[in-house]
Amino acid sequence: MGLDLTIRDLKVTSPRGRDILSVPQLDIAAGSLVGIAGPSGAGKSTLLYALAGMLEAKGCIVWNDTDLLTLREEQRTAFRASHIGMIFQDFLLFEELSAAANASLTSLYRPRAQRAGIRQRAAERLAALGLKEPDRSVASYSGGERQRVAIARALSANAPVLLADEPTASLDRAAADKLITDLVALARTSGTTLIAVSHDQHLIDRMDRVLTVSDGKIVEPRGQAA
Amino acid sequence: MMDLWYDLPVAAQDLLAVIGLLLPALITGVVVLRGHTPWPLVKAIIWRFRVPSVMFIVLIAVSVGLGVGLLAQERGLRKGTAQAADKFDLIVSAPGSELSVMLAAVFLQPSDMGLIDGETYNEIAATESVAIAAPLAFGDSYAGAPVIGSTAEFVAYLTDQNVEGAIFADHEEAVVGALVPLEIGAQFTPAHGMTHIDGGAEEHGVSFSVTGRMAPTGTPWDRAIIVPVEAVWEVHGLANGHAPEAGDVIGGPFDAEYFPGTPAVVVHAEALWANYALRSTFTRDRETMAFFPGAVLAGLYNVMGDVRQAMSVMALVTQVLVAVSVMLGLFILSRLFRRQVALLRALGAPSRFVFAMMWSFSAVLLLSGAITGMLIGVGAAMVLSQIVTAQTNILVTAPLGWQEIQFVAGFVSVTLLISLLPAAVVLRQPVVEGLRA
Repeated sequence: MGLDLTIRDLKVTSPRGRDILSVPQLDIAAGSLVGIAGPSGAGKSTLLYALAGMLEAKGCIVWNDTDLLTLREEQRTAFRASHIGMIFQDFLLFEELSAAANASLTSLYRPRAQRAGIRQRAAERLAALGLKEPDRSVASYSGGERQRVAIARALSANAPVLLADEPTASLDRAAADKLITDLVALARTSGTTLIAVSHDQHLIDRMDRVLTVSDGKIVEPRGQAA
Repeated sequence: MMDLWYDLPVAAQDLLAVIGLLLPALITGVVVLRGHTPWPLVKAIIWRFRVPSVMFIVLIAVSVGLGVGLLAQERGLRKGTAQAADKFDLIVSAPGSELSVMLAAVFLQPSDMGLIDGETYNEIAATESVAIAAPLAFGDSYAGAPVIGSTAEFVAYLTDQNVEGAIFADHEEAVVGALVPLEIGAQFTPAHGMTHIDGGAEEHGVSFSVTGRMAPTGTPWDRAIIVPVEAVWEVHGLANGHAPEAGDVIGGPFDAEYFPGTPAVVVHAEALWANYALRSTFTRDRETMAFFPGAVLAGLYNVMGDVRQAMSVMALVTQVLVAVSVMLGLFILSRLFRRQVALLRALGAPSRFVFAMMWSFSAVLLLSGAITGMLIGVGAAMVLSQIVTAQTNILVTAPLGWQEIQFVAGFVSVTLLISLLPAAVVLRQPVVEGLRA
């Protein structure tokens, strides 16, 4: 179910031509839990967005045998829809919709045949994450609950890869710890590759492997060799 | 093809025109929304940004409302004035301004006019094809209601014999218009001039008794009081149109020698065609002029039509400006939810879905604004109609017509097509920038 990631000679430049990220080589095995640490502005989120095919870049970003950088934008979007789930620091939910509707958001645009399955999985993920009233508007939820809805949304499409950008940054310590436990458990049980950018040491400590990014470069690979 | 079109009933032509105008929007809607159901998100976005959305709807509604209101009002005025002149087939008067005579005779607006003498009047009345030749006498009023002298025959013709009570049969009897606040049996004393215009007038000292009330005609005559023309002449110290030995008779025939003169004679011919011959007969230099009030109104409408055409160009420019404003407004609104759009793109929503969502959002606002505007326009036209009716006594009704529906259909189609542009531009915004916005 997982996807192996292979990066070669990745270069992301700013519109003014300045190098903002340079990764000569990086391999991540399917099903790994990888933390990306480093100071603010170092290029962590840039790396994450590049892995999702949301940035123009040079080099190769290959998920199994699909090189994202050779795809047209619409093909990359389609790839994300079926292979990558995303979690953001400030949840990015539709506040006016219920938790269930947010979690099954992708069912609105996925092929008709997949919609029921997405809704079903979204309900299961919400239940697994301890959200008891899925029909309530997320506007009434706490930060921790909202991020759980976002996680359920990311997992509802059965994506083999989960990219998380500072998933605990908006949460208090207790909520963050509970979320980390659930996120890691869900990723492990489903065999999902989790790549999380975070300043949260509690989250980083739970990862199989940690990459430290500084000044646009991966400078301190720990654990499994990069 | 054109023959086929002209063979269709007018209502079918109007309906087809509306469908034709809406077709570009309908086709766009079907193409854009095919296979996608973005409504839950559209609803959520509108609710999230409800204040700017409502403001946008209000702006559209006011713009559409003004257009609809003006169109409906202009049509209502034409219809009302044309209806007011309906009973006045031909008017013969002393030479002068046809417009002034029409305003005085049909719309009861005070005016200085020359008089037709008794011989001429009798010639008109005696002409073979003339069914009714009613002299009119103006100049008096009671409590703001003009008191007009004429004949019982004219009252019967004007009201199609719909008179509650009885038409006057004596010099000191009167028939009141449907809106005159006098009951049957009431007594009143008219005064010289228009009291509400002259600011007070001298009473004649002759009382009249109300014998009947005319059915509503939707014309200024609803607020008029009609008395025998003889009575008007008498209270002004003139001969009453009949020789002394004739006694107290009222109505024609009149004795030319005792006929003080009338500013206008309302002529109704036995057949429509005869009116043209009568107009020709009584159009004489320095003696009389004869004209169709309907033709004078048509001339007036033509002048108004020219003004209307000039206004149409201005309205078109205004609508173009509104359309540009709509586009700019949609650009601004779309900036508000660029994060939501970026999120959808990040989650893998196809560009067609995001495009459909953006366009649907615009469509909901534009359609809501257009429908609200139509209601506002109809409401405004109704209020304006009541004001105009109250001020002129011409019954002006301005219900929603095909012209207004076509105007709104055109507006909706053009703006829905224009709103494709902001939807397309949103798709070109970088996803990551949107997420970080």
